[in-house]
Amino acid sequence: MEEEDEEARSLLAGGSEDAGRGPPATPAAPRILSAVCDPSRLAHRLLVLSLMCFLGFGSYFCYDNPAALQTQIQRDMQVNTTKFMFLYAWYSWPNVVLCFFGGFLIDRVFGIRWGTIIFSCFVCIGQVIFALGGIFNAFWLMEFGRFIFGTGGESLAVAQNTYAVSWFKGKELNLVFGLQLSMARIGSTVNMNLMGWLYSQMEASLGAAGPMTLGVTLMIGGITCILSLICALALAYLDQRAERILHKEQGQTGEVIKLTDVKDFSLPLWLIFIICVCYYVAVFPFIGLGKVFFMEKFKFSSQAASAINSVVYVISAPLSPVFGLLVDKTGKNIIWVLCAVATTLVSHMMLAFTLWNPWIAMCLLGISYSLVACALWPMVAYVVPEHQLGTAYGFMQSIQNLGLAIISIVAGLILDTRGYLFLGVFFIACVSMSLLFVVLLYLVNRARGGSLNYSAKQREEIKLSHTE
Amino acid sequence: MCGSGEPRWGRGPCSPSPMLFLSLLLSTAPFVLLGEKTRQVSLEVIPGWLGSHQNLLHIRAVGTNSTLHYVWSSLGPPAVLLVATNTPHSSLSVNWSRLLSPEPDGGLVVLPKNSIQFSSALIFTRLLEFDSTNLSDVAAKLPGKPYPPYSLAEFSWNNISDSLDPATLSATFRGHPMSDPTKAFVNGSLAFRVQAFSGSGRPVQPPRLLHTADTCQLEMALVGASPRGNRSLFGLEVATLSEGPDCPSVLEKHSIDDEYAPAVFQLDQLLWGSLPSGFMQWRPVAFSQKQGGRESALSCQASPLHPTLSYPLPQSPIVRAFFGPQNFCAFNLTFGVSTGPGYWDQHYLSWSMLLGVGSPPVDALSPLVLGIMAVALGTPGLMLLGGGLILLLRHKQSSEYQPIN
Repeated sequence: MEEEDEEARSLLAGGSEDAGRGPPATPAAPRILSAVCDPSRLAHRLLVLSLMCFLGFGSYFCYDNPAALQTQIQRDMQVNTTKFMFLYAWYSWPNVVLCFFGGFLIDRVFGIRWGTIIFSCFVCIGQVIFALGGIFNAFWLMEFGRFIFGTGGESLAVAQNTYAVSWFKGKELNLVFGLQLSMARIGSTVNMNLMGWLYSQMEASLGAAGPMTLGVTLMIGGITCILSLICALALAYLDQRAERILHKEQGQTGEVIKLTDVKDFSLPLWLIFIICVCYYVAVFPFIGLGKVFFMEKFKFSSQAASAINSVVYVISAPLSPVFGLLVDKTGKNIIWVLCAVATTLVSHMMLAFTLWNPWIAMCLLGISYSLVACALWPMVAYVVPEHQLGTAYGFMQSIQNLGLAIISIVAGLILDTRGYLFLGVFFIACVSMSLLFVVLLYLVNRARGGSLNYSAKQREEIKLSHTE
Repeated sequence: MCGSGEPRWGRGPCSPSPMLFLSLLLSTAPFVLLGEKTRQVSLEVIPGWLGSHQNLLHIRAVGTNSTLHYVWSSLGPPAVLLVATNTPHSSLSVNWSRLLSPEPDGGLVVLPKNSIQFSSALIFTRLLEFDSTNLSDVAAKLPGKPYPPYSLAEFSWNNISDSLDPATLSATFRGHPMSDPTKAFVNGSLAFRVQAFSGSGRPVQPPRLLHTADTCQLEMALVGASPRGNRSLFGLEVATLSEGPDCPSVLEKHSIDDEYAPAVFQLDQLLWGSLPSGFMQWRPVAFSQKQGGRESALSCQASPLHPTLSYPLPQSPIVRAFFGPQNFCAFNLTFGVSTGPGYWDQHYLSWSMLLGVGSPPVDALSPLVLGIMAVALGTPGLMLLGGGLILLLRHKQSSEYQPIN
C-alpha cells in the first residue's frame, strides 16, 4: 500500500509541475512528459487517477477524527459518550436526504467539475468549523462543523465515482473503483494512527492539553481537506482541458432518482436494505467507539488501540478487490453474505464475552466486513430493473445513514449507562437481526425462484439465453 | 505457615502444602454455614461513658445459626472490627473505662468467646494528598509529590446518633481536622457512610457492588475541602492486621462484565486467611461527581500491602481492645490521575467498598443480557433450521413428479 501511495504521490508531483509550466522543461524525458500531458494516453489517465484518489483522502481522513481522538475530545470538551457520538450522528443526518440529491445536484445543477469543487469546499469548511469548535471550546460549534462536513462528504464520494466512470469507462473501471476504495481505507487508517500522536506533539508544544490543543490538532488534520480541494481544482482543470482536446463529454452520474419508484421495490430488495442497515450499524459505531474500548477493556496503550481499531480498514483495503473477484467468479451471493454476517457475529461475540486477544476478532471483522461489501451491494442490481438502480442505491445509502445516525446516539447512551458488555450484546443483536434477514432473503429467493443465489455459471447461461 | 525461622515481616514465597489446605478446609467446614440469605440487622449506637458521645456503632446481623458483628468507631482513627460467630445469640460487651484508658486491651469482647469463627479489622489511618503536576520520584511509584498527610486520628467527628437511619440501616461519620491552620476544611468534610444489608441486592449509585446479608458497605466521600494544589490527587491509607509473617495481598479479578460499572472490568479484593473467611472488595473506580456517571469516573490504584514499620501507625482503641497488641499492614488507595477528571472539577470525591465475611459476592451476567442473547442467537438459528426443513420437504415433494418431457 505504501508503494502505491508513493507512486501516486510522485505522479501527483509530476502533474503539478506539468500543469504549472505547460511545455516540458526537462528535455531528458520529453516522451514521458508529453505522454503525461496527452489526455488520450495511459500516463495522463494515471495522473488523473492519482488526483481522484487523493480527492477522497481528506474526507475519509477527517471522518474518523473523532474516533482517533475520543479520549481527548471527551476530556477536553467535557462531554459524555452519548454527546461524543453526536459528532457521528451529525455527519449522517444530512446524508439521509442528500443521498437522493447528490447525483441530481451533480448532473443538473453544478455539473461534475463545480459539484466536486463545491463539495470539497463544504468538507474543508466543515472541518475548519469543527476545529474552531475546539479552539473556542464550544461543542455545539463542533457539532455544526460535523454537519457541514457531512453535507459535503458523501456527495463528494458520488462525484469521485462519477469522475472515475467518465475517465475510465470501458477501460480500467473496476480497478479504479478498487483503488479509490483502498485509498479511502488508507485515509482512515492513517488518521487512526496519526491523530493521537499529533495531539501529543501539539500538547508538548502548546504546554498543556485542552480544547485549544484539540482545535489546533484538528485544524492541522484539516490540511488533508485542503489537499483534496486542490485535487478537485486540478481535476476540474484537467477535465476541461480533456474536453477541449478530445471533445469528451462532461461526466454525468446518470442517476435518475424517482422517489415514486419506492412503491415498486420488491420484497427481496427491502430485505437487502434491512440486512445492510442492521449490519453496518454494528460496524461503524463500533469502530467509532473502538479505540477507547480497547484501552479500557484490554488495557491497550493509546497507540496499540489505534492500530487495532484501524485493522478493519487495513484488511479491507487489499481484500476488497480479491473478494470482489471471488464473488464475481463464484456467484452465490447470499451464501457469501450469510458466511460474512455469521463471521461478524462470531467476532462481536469474541469481543464482548472473552478476554482473548482482540486482534483475532478484529481481523475476522475486517475480513467479513470486506466480504459483505463485495457480496451485498451488487445484489441490488439483480433485483431492480436498471432504470431504478439509482433510486435503489440512493435509498439504501439513505437508510443506512439514518440507521447510523440513530444507532450512534443509542450506542453512546448504552455505553454511558450500561457499559461495554451491554453495548456488545446490543451489537450482537443487530448482527443477529441482519443474519435473520439474510436467512429470510435466502428462503424468499428460493421460494420465488429468484436469481440472487445463482452461481456464476448459471448467470452466464441466463445471459446467453437472453441474448439469443 | 512458613518456617518459623523466617523474619516476622518476611515477604518470601510461602507455599502451603495441599494437605494443609485440606485440613484447613475440614476444620473450617462449619464456617460455610455463615452464608445466609437474609439476616435480622440492627444498628445500635453504644452510649458513651458519662454521657459523652464516643461514636461507637454496633451493627449486629443475626441469621438462623450465626451472628455477624461490625463495630465501627471514630475513637482514634476511623476503624471497623468484623467478628463472625456461629451462634445467633452472641453479643458485644463494652467496658468503657478500659476502652478509654491508655491500655484498652479487653475493653471490647464478643461473647461467648468460643463462638468466634473469624475476626479482623480495618483502620483508615490517613488522608493523603499529592501534587500530580510534580512527578517527583518515579521509583517511589507515587502519583506525585506528597503533601503532608491528614491524620484521621486528629479529626473531630460528628455525633453518629444524628445520622443513624434505621430504615436504610446506615449511619455517617463526618469529620474535619481538629486543627486546620490552612483552613482547607472550612467548607469541607470527609465522610464515611456505613450501610448494612438484610439481604442481597445492588445499590442504584455506581459502582453498584453486589452486596449480601453477610456484607457491609462503606462509602467514603470527600466534599468541599480545598486542595493544596491545582491538580491535587487524594488517597486513603488503610491498615489491617497482618496475619503471620506475610501481609495479605490484593487480588485483581478481571471480568468481561461491566454492566453495573461501565468501563470497569476489574474487581479488587483483599482476602484474609487462605480460605475466604473475610474480605474487603471494591471496584478500582472513584467518582468526581455525585451522580457518578462514566465521565466523572476516576481510576483507583491500590498499592501492595506493606508492613507499617517505617512510621508509628495511629492506634485504634477498639482494634487494640479486641485484638490486643498486633502488627499491622497498610496500603494506599489513590484516586485519579493527573490527566482526566479529578477532585479539582467539583471538589468532590467518592469511593465505596464492601466488607464482609465468607466468600466475596460474584457478579453473574444479568438476566437481561442472557435474555437478549438467547433471542438474538435463537431466532436466526431456528429460522435456518425451520426454513431448511421446509425447503427439504418441498424439494422431496416436487422431485416426486417427473417432468413430462
